[in-house]
Amino acid sequence: MLRVSRLLTAIIAWTTAIVLGGCSQGKPEDFYRSGIIYCSESNPINFNPQLDTSGTTSDASSHQIYGRLLDFNPDSGRIEASLANSWQVSEDGLTYEFQLRKGVTFHTTDYFTPTRTFNADDVIFSIDRWRLPSHPYHNVSGGRYAYFESLGIADNIQEVARLNSYRVRIKLINRDSSFLANLATDFSVILSEEYAKQLMQKGVPERIDHYPVGTGPFKFQSYRKDHYIRFKRHENYWRDTPRSERLIYDITPKSSLRLAKLITGECDAIAFPSQAEVEVIRQRDQLELAEKPGLNIGFWAFNTQKSPFNNPDVRRALAFAIDKNTLLETVYFDSAVRAKTLLPPASWAYQRDADDTAYNPVLARKLLNDAGVPEGFRMTIWAMPVERAYNPNAAKMAELMQRYLAEVGIKADIISYDWTTFRRHLRDGAHDSVLIGWSADSGDPDNFYRPLLSCGAIPSGTNRAMWCNSNYDRLINAALKTENIEQRKRIYQQVNRLLYEQLPLVPLAHAYRYQAYRSGLSGMSINPYGGINFAGVEKKL
Amino acid sequence: MAQFSLYQEEFHPSPWQKTWREFRSSHIASLGLMILLFFLVFSLFAPIIAPYDPLQQNVNALFIPPSWNVNGTISHLFGTDALGRDLFSRIVYGCRVTLGSSILLVLVAMVVGVTIGTIAGMLEGVRSSVINHLLDALMAIPTLLIAIIIVAVLGTGLVNSMWAITLALTPQFVHHTRSFVRTEMKKEYVLASKLDGANHLQLFFYSILPNMIEMLVVQGTIALSIAVIDISALGFLNLGARPPVPELGAMLADGMDVAYVAPWTVALPGLTIFLIVLAINVVGDGLRSALRKRLTQ
Amino acid sequence: MINALSRYTILFTLTLLVLALLSFSLIYMFPGDPLINLTGLVPQNDIQREALIKQFKLDQPYPIQFYHYLQQLFSGNWGYSFISGESLRDEIGIAMPATFELSTYAMVIAVIIGVPVGCYAGLRSYTASDYAINTASIFSYSFPVFWLALIFILFFSLDAGMVPLSGRISLLFEVPNKTGFILIDILLAEDINHSLALKDAIKHLILPTITIGLISTAAMIRITRRSVIDVVNSPYITAARSRGLSKRQIFMRHILRNALLPILPLMAIQVTTLITNAMIVETLFSWPGIGNWLINAINQRDYPALRIGMLAVSTMVITLTILIDFFNRLIDPSREKFERGTI
Repeated sequence: MLRVSRLLTAIIAWTTAIVLGGCSQGKPEDFYRSGIIYCSESNPINFNPQLDTSGTTSDASSHQIYGRLLDFNPDSGRIEASLANSWQVSEDGLTYEFQLRKGVTFHTTDYFTPTRTFNADDVIFSIDRWRLPSHPYHNVSGGRYAYFESLGIADNIQEVARLNSYRVRIKLINRDSSFLANLATDFSVILSEEYAKQLMQKGVPERIDHYPVGTGPFKFQSYRKDHYIRFKRHENYWRDTPRSERLIYDITPKSSLRLAKLITGECDAIAFPSQAEVEVIRQRDQLELAEKPGLNIGFWAFNTQKSPFNNPDVRRALAFAIDKNTLLETVYFDSAVRAKTLLPPASWAYQRDADDTAYNPVLARKLLNDAGVPEGFRMTIWAMPVERAYNPNAAKMAELMQRYLAEVGIKADIISYDWTTFRRHLRDGAHDSVLIGWSADSGDPDNFYRPLLSCGAIPSGTNRAMWCNSNYDRLINAALKTENIEQRKRIYQQVNRLLYEQLPLVPLAHAYRYQAYRSGLSGMSINPYGGINFAGVEKKL
Repeated sequence: MAQFSLYQEEFHPSPWQKTWREFRSSHIASLGLMILLFFLVFSLFAPIIAPYDPLQQNVNALFIPPSWNVNGTISHLFGTDALGRDLFSRIVYGCRVTLGSSILLVLVAMVVGVTIGTIAGMLEGVRSSVINHLLDALMAIPTLLIAIIIVAVLGTGLVNSMWAITLALTPQFVHHTRSFVRTEMKKEYVLASKLDGANHLQLFFYSILPNMIEMLVVQGTIALSIAVIDISALGFLNLGARPPVPELGAMLADGMDVAYVAPWTVALPGLTIFLIVLAINVVGDGLRSALRKRLTQ
Repeated sequence: MINALSRYTILFTLTLLVLALLSFSLIYMFPGDPLINLTGLVPQNDIQREALIKQFKLDQPYPIQFYHYLQQLFSGNWGYSFISGESLRDEIGIAMPATFELSTYAMVIAVIIGVPVGCYAGLRSYTASDYAINTASIFSYSFPVFWLALIFILFFSLDAGMVPLSGRISLLFEVPNKTGFILIDILLAEDINHSLALKDAIKHLILPTITIGLISTAAMIRITRRSVIDVVNSPYITAARSRGLSKRQIFMRHILRNALLPILPLMAIQVTTLITNAMIVETLFSWPGIGNWLINAINQRDYPALRIGMLAVSTMVITLTILIDFFNRLIDPSREKFERGTI
């Protein structure tokens, strides 16, 4: 008994000492200012954007952990130097030579200490990993490189050769006017070859995607599913040292909770404020809202491999059954442009006079009757569970569409799972139709047409309509063969016509992108060409 | 017609009447009963009371505030939600779904529980003891957990969440029935019936059940308040009723997405659940104290 | 005593066995591949699959499978999350204490406030103050916990800005997980500002604790009040009064002890309600506890996690209830049976 009480006294004394003594360890404000908390919307699948086209994964890794050979200028959209100092393209457009930056250091973490700086081996490793099926790392973590597969880039590269430690040459088979743009996207990150070698020796290659090492402004520290991702500043970052000592992603799937946390100051910035809340953010003094027209498209895709959705008339009928303008008003709160084709108005290939489906339930019912789809036919609408700029509330949109479809005698069931599970089932083709969308990674029109609907994009899981049309593939390939803008435009107009006739998906909206943050944060901006970047962000208040 | 009575008549109120008198003498309990009846009327006559179809979307009437607000209109008493659906109609139907399904599942749990409980109570020996102890221990498993498992096996939906709650409530009825049957079986009036040659079934229906009804009503109100809370909690967590079914908890969860723009879509369904549960609890409380008073008299 | 102990041990083991059997049968009841539901490992090819089936004895008859399953459970090999690939035992080891911590604080509040207030109301039964307390408690008891949490968030976090609304501590603090109890972990953590961290953690604790605590307190008040009234009306109190004992003496010697005894088994029921409420509230306050974890698991259709989560939570709840019952039996042997009451 005596011992217990003595122990108790000791504990109490110790606690008081800590509590009282703790006051001298610097001001609390300094501490709370030392890191940025970003409320993100979902769990990343891993920390390698090569493997996943989801914005969640690339937001959490692409610009934080990694660097790329080239970058988009966030203002002009031009391609500019990054890890490559400079580059040259041959006359025939088939050979690219990159001069690499010297003295770029990789992250030193608990699990890896680099002995050398960035060089040509890292570039070759990073590209060969997704390019060559025979590469020892190709099949690690599933071996699916959705973005590159959907664009068919790997097959178009003849070789990636090392000229010297800081010079790399890439040879293409066919001319590809969007090749450089693709190297600047969120997905073309540079991994550490030295780290990969080490892991291979230890026999745990898959760790490369879960305990990442890169050259980016922040290094990975820890991740707990459904809770947080922690990053620390990369002190030797080759650009200006990141302003913030720490960066934390607080994973908060509910958009209303994210806003609540932003208001209480528990988050400094939040992902995807819902369009309904935009006004609330504007009215609050301590909150800021950045907005830009987004390079994106929200659409309703049919699983064209399932009957009766393999019949273009059925697809057109369903498109006639819904009123797009209502969707724009209620779901996007008019912060979006009605979509006629895949391309947003900001794209140079945008076709102003493209055909569009109009709301016509009578025609819809007639087409359905002709196609033999009975009254009371049941179908599923998969509504994605996360908010995206291109679709801020898919569940609500699905409810609206449920009503519209009921008017033409179709019963729609709404299906939703957690984001990761949702996409897994989608890839298996379990859906009848799905409400989803696409955010472009470069300004090139091919970045919309190819990943969304080409045959090659079916296995990679970006072609949600699972639609394969040889005519379509031929046209979009032809568009890449030329550098002549007018000629490309004309080809894309033919493509639009084809899509209007076939309608594998119904384009719905091109939405604004919003970024909400607290006024105390400086340096936040929207990068239209991809994920969020915290390198220059600092907390002032 | 007033009658002249020469002799003072002796009037013996039945136990039920006594309880009812006690119950009515408490104003709070009577008020609770009235509110509960009010909600029951809502549930029964939802199609007549509700001015609109609860699923009818109206794009021209999004986020209309409730009528007492400056910007509200009288045509939408409680305003409208994010899809322009009339909130009052949805809440009226919501009472029907939430309260109605709760009553239904409590009845099912009661019938099943009484059956098992009676069998266990009349049985003797090890078998009954094992069943009882296991049931008692399993009674502690939270409804939420059972619901999660049922959803994982069968998928989400109002009916599945009802199964889960029924499963969670049944052991309570089993338990109470069993101990009730146990004590009653030892009483003289049962013995008398036994001596008359009544079999188990007759004993139960003619002797025990009539005495048990009060206990069942009291237990029923407790179970009902739990059921309403649970069914709306499951709806709220997206484990129960799926949109667009107007279930109060699911409506509340729906409203959370627009909580800043339209706070009434969160406040009013929540308030309704609260009032329903409050009314049930007040009635249950009143019933119990009325019973207690009758028994101590 | 020995008899009781052995009875409770048998009851406990039997219940756990039933639970284990249930969780084992879930492997086959859940949609999908039983192998994945059991292990959480996704075989890359047929050879690997065969090997895993052999390893987990899924090719054997069910009783042997179940026996092997029990062995695995005891050796701490609980499988892996199908989504994150983390060891489920580690994940539960982090999530469970968080829920336990929250429930404990709420329970402490419920007892500290509920018992004295309940006693007070019981002693002054049918007076104005009793009515006030009774009304307040029936009101708080009727709140759907998720709505109450939302109201609290609205008033205390969003409007007043007094307390934060999510998590256990600001994520800027890096508190290594040692015991799973945040306050203790902070004291054990090394290079952080302890006083600042404690202050931060306590601020985070306030809202969820009060939300759950309020409902439990209401229940506690009602239980205590009822119990005290029953005791006050009993003949031995009248006898004590007639012997001329002072009110204080009567209360301390007779009422308190006898009124508190029947409360214990009622607390066993409260444990279930408390933990259910904690689990619901966790999802709103992003509290990293088991409720939040299970809800995420069901949304992600993480079947191995659900299987083991169900076993872990029910084991925790049942252990607590049986312990309370056993304790109750020890101090009050006159209650021969496992008894339950109502509020």
